[in-house]
Amino acid sequence: MRRFFALARTAALESLAESLSAVVFLAALLLVHLAPVFHYHRFGEAARLPRECGLSALLVFGLAFATSAAVRTIGRELSSGTASAALALAVPRALFHCAKTAGVFAAFLLFAAAAACATLLSARTSALGAQIAATGVDVRIWGPGLMCGVGGTILAFAMAAAANRFMRWRFCVSACLMTAFAQPVALMAAFAMGGFADDGALARGMARLFPAFAVLAGGCLVFVALAAALATRFKASVVAAVMAGAVVASFLTAPMAQMCPFAGGVIRALLPALSDFWVADQLLGGGAMQMDEALRLLAVSALLVAFWMGVGSVMLSRRELP
Amino acid sequence: MSESIVEIKGVSKTFKDFWLRPVAEAVRGVDIEVEKGDVFGLLGPNGSGKSTTIKMLLGLLKPSSGEIRLFGLPPHDRRARARLGYLPELSYLHPFLTARETVLYYAGLSLMPRRAAKARAAELLATVGLAGNEDRPVGGFSKGMARRVAFAAALVAQPELLVLDEPTSGLDPIGTRDVKNLIRRLADGGMTVLITSHQLFDMQDICSRVAILSHGRVVGGGRISDIVSKASDKRHALEDYFAEVVA
Repeated sequence: MRRFFALARTAALESLAESLSAVVFLAALLLVHLAPVFHYHRFGEAARLPRECGLSALLVFGLAFATSAAVRTIGRELSSGTASAALALAVPRALFHCAKTAGVFAAFLLFAAAAACATLLSARTSALGAQIAATGVDVRIWGPGLMCGVGGTILAFAMAAAANRFMRWRFCVSACLMTAFAQPVALMAAFAMGGFADDGALARGMARLFPAFAVLAGGCLVFVALAAALATRFKASVVAAVMAGAVVASFLTAPMAQMCPFAGGVIRALLPALSDFWVADQLLGGGAMQMDEALRLLAVSALLVAFWMGVGSVMLSRRELP
Repeated sequence: MSESIVEIKGVSKTFKDFWLRPVAEAVRGVDIEVEKGDVFGLLGPNGSGKSTTIKMLLGLLKPSSGEIRLFGLPPHDRRARARLGYLPELSYLHPFLTARETVLYYAGLSLMPRRAAKARAAELLATVGLAGNEDRPVGGFSKGMARRVAFAAALVAQPELLVLDEPTSGLDPIGTRDVKNLIRRLADGGMTVLITSHQLFDMQDICSRVAILSHGRVVGGGRISDIVSKASDKRHALEDYFAEVVA
């Protein structure tokens, strides 16, 4: 296990050490926090826009960040030779692949957890302030929630810069970590300022929103595992093209299955049907997703992740490293 | 009778393309034996098959034919690979890790106890001349400094066999001298060292035996003392011998 943790830790650090990661963390989390400001039209439910903005940020930014990190940490290491130096020692290739993929998973899950906390705060900020009149929308955003979310994220980024300046901490890694950890802190600060109607409101909000994020994050992890498996053999451009095709195919599983049941079945066996994992509609009007459904989807994700990690391990084991 | 650490018998390697058509025959029927305590130089011009031979020995490439034994075991056997240290031709290091973290990373991969690894990392970084730079990210290091970090990483688990691919590449004259002295000290301590290099003058100084590869074949070699004793110009004995056999 020590080898596994050494490799996974390095992969997680590598995932967060790129400037792209810091930009993704900052941009995505600020976008979620600022979503209440964009209440220009009526959605029927004040918290809907922030909530769907948070889920979209996880899907789009999270997937882009994690697949590029997987390609970087596995593909680039194999092509540059960093991997050769490790594999020349007594490190089994399957362990190498699984540990590296797990490291990228850890970085992605950090982002997912931060996005979930930011979304909960943003949805609450929006719901508290918006007063929907019969003739239109009178938007009054709850200021302390916005201040905690946006201010906390920017402050965390500034602290990362200061830590880099005065203590030589790695800027991108600390920026990602600090902005991520700032989200639950901002949520708790908003809670302390009376942002939630009663003591149970925060727990109820978590119970509604977090399973939806967990399910979508599980679906995304399958794509990260697929990208990691492809990166053992193919160049980044090929992996990017295949990933784009895979994401589109997974959204179109249902119509494809109607046109060609065999093709639909094959896609469903290899990839998560993302339309099933996008559960935003179940949260409308105070609704929550069923726990047995959430567990079923998480089990499907776990099986597909294990499958693609196995494929990646076999592909790496058979690869020559010139 | 001396113990064989590395046995390479009739090994060939042909690289193939996607359609499995042969592209290049990098190594052709190579026979090499490295004994315990040897400082063995694998020499040859560019493209002679040195690095391919090393990578087959490390289990990174599979030979097309022939047999390789490392400590009497197949090269992909983890028990054999656990006893070696490897310095790649280029110092591929994670740029975001510090020098100390890099050495500790390789110590972790070699399953060294954490406390012992920390002490060993500090000792090795001082040995390779990086005292005071332990906590700087290697991404900001010069090529020579990165090479020193990679050298320390190769030595961290106290290997019995040290495989060095172009160890002095990118080093300044002082660095080259330090590395040569270090290799001598390691050999005096009983470590077996396998080196590939173009620096014939340096190799003559530190190697006990050499094999010379050209176009994938072993075209010459033997004990350095024998090569030097037969040469008219003792100072350039290996250089003259190399030119003679490769030509």
